[in-house]
Amino acid sequence: MADTPYLPLKPLMMKDRVSMIFLQYGQIDVKDNAFVLIQENEVRTHIPVGSIACIMLEPGTRVSHAAVKLAAEVGTLLVWVGEAGVRVYSSGQPGGARSDRLLYQAKLALDDELRLKVVRKMYEIRFGEAAPARRSVEQLRGIEGARVRKTYELLAKKYEVEWKRRNYDTDNWDLSDVPNRCMSAATACLYGITEAAVLAAGYAPAIGFIHWGKPLSFVYDIADVFKFDTVVPIAFKIAAKNPHNPDREVRLACRDAFRAQNTLAKIIPMIEEILAAGEIQPPEMPPESVPPAIPPAESLGEAGHRSK
Amino acid sequence: MAMVVVVTESVPPRLRGRLAIWLLQVRAGVYVGEVSRRVREMIWQQCTELCDEGNIVMAWATNTESGFDFQTVGKNRRIPVDMDGLRLVSFFPEAGENAL
Repeated sequence: MADTPYLPLKPLMMKDRVSMIFLQYGQIDVKDNAFVLIQENEVRTHIPVGSIACIMLEPGTRVSHAAVKLAAEVGTLLVWVGEAGVRVYSSGQPGGARSDRLLYQAKLALDDELRLKVVRKMYEIRFGEAAPARRSVEQLRGIEGARVRKTYELLAKKYEVEWKRRNYDTDNWDLSDVPNRCMSAATACLYGITEAAVLAAGYAPAIGFIHWGKPLSFVYDIADVFKFDTVVPIAFKIAAKNPHNPDREVRLACRDAFRAQNTLAKIIPMIEEILAAGEIQPPEMPPESVPPAIPPAESLGEAGHRSK
Repeated sequence: MAMVVVVTESVPPRLRGRLAIWLLQVRAGVYVGEVSRRVREMIWQQCTELCDEGNIVMAWATNTESGFDFQTVGKNRRIPVDMDGLRLVSFFPEAGENAL
C-alpha cells in the first residue's frame, strides 16, 4: 500500500451542489479523509463537504485546521454565523480570485458611467422593467427603497403579518419581532449561497455597485436581485404561522425554495449577465505578461475555484 | 421509475431470496434496481416484515435537494439525522464504550 497514488480533490460546480448546511455544537474535524462533525458521546456525522455550496457554522462549533483545509480544497465556503444565522464573521476562501475577473469588476465599479449601466441592469432584472432614464445611482436607490418598502408592506398584508419596518438589533437578537427575525434568518441563507457563488465565479465580494464599503457589498447587490422572489415571501409566510422554532422553519423553507427555483444554478449566470450590461470586455492578458510556469490543473469547478 | 439500492445486514435468507426476485444482487446483501414508487413501497413492505433481527437501508433517487432519499429498518449504529431539511447519517459509538 506504500505506492497509493496521489489523487487531488476537485471542486464541483455550484449548480451541482446542495445549497447549505447549518452545524451546531460539535467539533468539526477530518477523520479518515472525511469531513466529520463530532458531537457529544463521540457521535460522528459525515458531512458531504464537497457537494455543499456553503457550511454555516453556528455558535458552539470548533473547526480544526485539517477541516478548513479540506473545505478550501473542495471549494466550499465556511461561514461563521451567529445566533439564528445573523452573520458574525465569515472566512474560508474557496474562490481563487481571478485577476481578469477582478479587474473587470473593478473597472465597471470605478467608472461612473459603467457603474450606472450595471445598476440599471440590476433594477431591470429585479423589477422586470427598464429603470427610468436619466437617473443617477442615488436617485435609483431612492426609487428602489420606496419600492422595497412597498413590497414589504404588500407581502405583509398578503400573509397577514404585522410589519412595522425592517429592523434588527444584532446586540439584542431576541428583542427583534418575529417577522424581522424570520427575515434575518432567511436573508442569511441567501447571503451564504450568494457569497459562495460570487467567490466561485472569481469575483470580489467587497466591490459592490449599489452597496458600497462593506466586505460583502457585491453579495448584497446580487442577493437583492433574488431576494424578493425567494427568501422574503418565505420569511413572511413563516412569520404568519408564528412557529415555535422560526429559524429552523425558515431554513427548511429556504432550502425548498432554492431547490424549486434552481437558485444555485442561476446566480453565476445572473452575475455575468448583470456585469455584461457595462458593455466592456474582461481585460486580455497584456503581451508582456507571463503565464504561470506550471499551467493550472484542469478543474471540474467554476473559473474562480482553486484546483490542484 | 427511479434507481433504488437496498443494503441488508444479518437478515434471514428468505428475505435475501425475496429481494433477488425484483432486484439485482451485486454484492452480498447489496441490491440494485430501477423501480417505480409503488414497487419500491411494496419491496419496502417485504423488507420491514421479513427483516427479523437484521437491519436494512433502502435508498432511491428522488426530487430532494440531494437527489435521493433513504429509509431504514432494524437496529444499526448509523442513525439518520435531519439537518434543517438535509438528511445525513450519524455514527454512534458501540453501546457502553463511552458510558461513564
